[in-house]
Amino acid sequence: MKITAGNGLYGLPAGLLLFAVFAVLCLPAAAAQECRFCHDEPLYRVDFNRSIHAGNGCTSCHTGITDIEKHRDGKEKPAPVNCGICHEKIAKEYLNNFHYIQEDFRCSDCHRNIHAIQKEPGKNIKLAIIEKCTECHGNADYTASGHGEAILKGNHDAADCSDCHGLHSTQVFHTSLEQYPTEAREFYTQKCKRCHADSVMMARNNLSDRMVAYYEGTYHGKVQELGYPAPVAGCGDCHTKHNILPKEDPRSSIHPANLEANCGRCHSGFHPRFLSYQSHPDYTDRQKYPALYATFLFMGGLLVGTLAFFWFHTILWWRKVYWEHHRMEKEGIVPPSVVATGEGLQQVERFSVKYRIMHVLLVLSFFTLVLTGFPLKYAGTEWAQTVIRLWGGAHISGLFHRGAALVLIVGMAYVAWESLKFLFPRGTGKQGWLGRLLGPDSLFPNLKDLQDLKGMFRWFFNRGEAPKFDRWTYWEKFDFLAVFWGMFAIGGSGILLWKPEWSSWLVPGWVLNIAALVHSEEALLAALFIFTIHFFNTHFIPNKFPMDRLIFTGTYRLEELKEQRPLEYERLVAEGRLEGMKREHPSIPLKLISATFGLGSLLLGLFLTVLILWSLLFA
Amino acid sequence: MLTLALAACGKPAEAPPPWKVIDAPTLRALMASDKDLLVINTMSEIECLDHRIPGSQCMACEEIEKDITLLPPDKNRVMVFYCESAGCYRSCRAAGAAVKAGYTQVHVLDRGMPAWKQAGYAMETVERIPRGSIPSVRASALKQMMAERKDLLLVDLRSEQSYREGHIEGAVNKPLYRLSRDYAAIPLDRTLVLLDDRGFRTFLAGSYLEMKGYQVIRLFGGMQAWQEMTAAK
Repeated sequence: MKITAGNGLYGLPAGLLLFAVFAVLCLPAAAAQECRFCHDEPLYRVDFNRSIHAGNGCTSCHTGITDIEKHRDGKEKPAPVNCGICHEKIAKEYLNNFHYIQEDFRCSDCHRNIHAIQKEPGKNIKLAIIEKCTECHGNADYTASGHGEAILKGNHDAADCSDCHGLHSTQVFHTSLEQYPTEAREFYTQKCKRCHADSVMMARNNLSDRMVAYYEGTYHGKVQELGYPAPVAGCGDCHTKHNILPKEDPRSSIHPANLEANCGRCHSGFHPRFLSYQSHPDYTDRQKYPALYATFLFMGGLLVGTLAFFWFHTILWWRKVYWEHHRMEKEGIVPPSVVATGEGLQQVERFSVKYRIMHVLLVLSFFTLVLTGFPLKYAGTEWAQTVIRLWGGAHISGLFHRGAALVLIVGMAYVAWESLKFLFPRGTGKQGWLGRLLGPDSLFPNLKDLQDLKGMFRWFFNRGEAPKFDRWTYWEKFDFLAVFWGMFAIGGSGILLWKPEWSSWLVPGWVLNIAALVHSEEALLAALFIFTIHFFNTHFIPNKFPMDRLIFTGTYRLEELKEQRPLEYERLVAEGRLEGMKREHPSIPLKLISATFGLGSLLLGLFLTVLILWSLLFA
Repeated sequence: MLTLALAACGKPAEAPPPWKVIDAPTLRALMASDKDLLVINTMSEIECLDHRIPGSQCMACEEIEKDITLLPPDKNRVMVFYCESAGCYRSCRAAGAAVKAGYTQVHVLDRGMPAWKQAGYAMETVERIPRGSIPSVRASALKQMMAERKDLLLVDLRSEQSYREGHIEGAVNKPLYRLSRDYAAIPLDRTLVLLDDRGFRTFLAGSYLEMKGYQVIRLFGGMQAWQEMTAAK
């Protein structure tokens, strides 16, 4: 519909609209003139017109005056100024600001010259912030710190008050309040990290940007990444809050003379040598940390060497078995153990009940250790944080880790005791122990294992028959002895790390850095070995896929004994011991439980392998 | 509600308190619907007049404890106590006194005025104190200053009872809840060092005294920081 001249009905709203626009545009100026009639100080007449707010009239901020006469007579007062009308985002942040919550500071309490405030191009904002905050807050610590000194020298990267505490969002974290120790530690640690991990900023200031990464590689840093409430040191706990100085400065909290008191605020009962622990170690720095560097190389070599050899062995084995399987299937040949009849179906015991129980305990404790330890190793990943949340936090997860370690230590002690009993049977004294150690029932390697290893490789490459095994194959012996080595490496380092303050009475603090590295790398080796190599050798090899329940049911067919361990079979027959090893067929419940537990463990292990490898390669 | 009640008075191990705990939105709704509602600010008069929940009455916790007749005679009057601490220490003490005196409709605002502010609700000012630049000193610095300067006067703003239980030698007791009446007795020719429990209340008190012509500094962290320093030594 068109608006035409003479149409009063349409002309009236249009006129009102024009009037309203005119009023809004002109009222501030008009009101300002009226206000200055009484408020005629130079501040309002001169300074305000030059200020950043000059475009606003008085009533833009001082609202609520409806009658100038009443206001002049003191009967009508303006409403409190609400800067949030324009500065909406800041006003929203400010609702949680400590100064508002606790001291009821309003905008003009800091921005006192609000009527004369001007844009000052080139102004050192950081210096201005420090000057403003230190009007009330004591500045002795801060101005003596590296940050304060740098800002005073014109550095624009160094942290001013607001970089850590926020400007309009100053948090309600107060040293006297003691209500938010966890949140405060988390909050301020993140603030420190934000700048100190910024490679461009650190390079500009001749500082290392790796300090954060080195810290994150330590127990302190990893638990911090997983999320508190486990009480570990954030940046400010060691470097203090304001008095942040290089360690060469005697006033610094990390000066050697102050370390005992500094570490002693969290740790107690330690030997002074505890202080040689490195909080930001760089494993790759040969000059600065030679022992750590050597350990790093050794553990890396052990990890890569062991996995490379056994993965190569596994791939060759799998190819040989798969190709052989294919040939037999094509030619219609069925292995005797599959079509066994009569005597061949007889079950023979391979693992007694106590060893089966021990293996179940080993599986349970190992998974608990992996599920509580690896989230700490890969603390920065989402999956690790989820797993720790499921445990109920890093502290509870740590308790389970130590509980599982105890189970494993007791189990290993029992195996060691059993091994001694095997070597020195009652009534024989020391007689014949070497023969038993190197004999066919022993899990200790002997010359035949070396021959079997060569034989297997010849077989892999179609250069000969597969070797004939006795009771234990060389890879089974490796599995067994690897657990002993693992217990020495992981268990020994774990015990040192369990109570580091007490450990310092035995070893210096820097050994704890080595212990942490050994613990972590050996755990990685153990997990990858078990979840890939052991799983394949025992369960995923094509003729046993998807699992061999033998370790849970304890028995297998006589035909399988003949096929897999012919030399043991011949010995058992020759020694007349075979009859004594015959057992009933395992019951349905036992088979079901074995299959469920076994398959569940295999699937969990594979899932964890994926997570570990993903973290290793991409996290 | 139980959780709220426990959190409100910061004593999780104890039984629920004999008063009701309400949150900020509930109080706001009550204020709109119940014109007889009595909302009581238990901070000092200085603090209460400076900023309070609109329509509040100013009755310091210590004064209610001393003289319960400050409360209205109707024992069934609905009343809500609040203070400026999320721990509600002062409002709980005042509420306890009211319950003990037989008042039946006693409430405490959960997490006090901080919760009200964080909810974004309006505040009311009767006599705004211009915020000054009140410098703070740490306990160790104060000790050094006390040894070097003779013009310092330590003014302990805590309650009479807290002062009696222990104070810095030479400090005079001017409880904050009475400061607006007692400040004139403080000499003008000394630099005042204000002391409180934890360092939170000396800023506004300092601004008030500065407005009255005094030169003021304050102890950062209050007597708690002082005691920590002396315990550490």
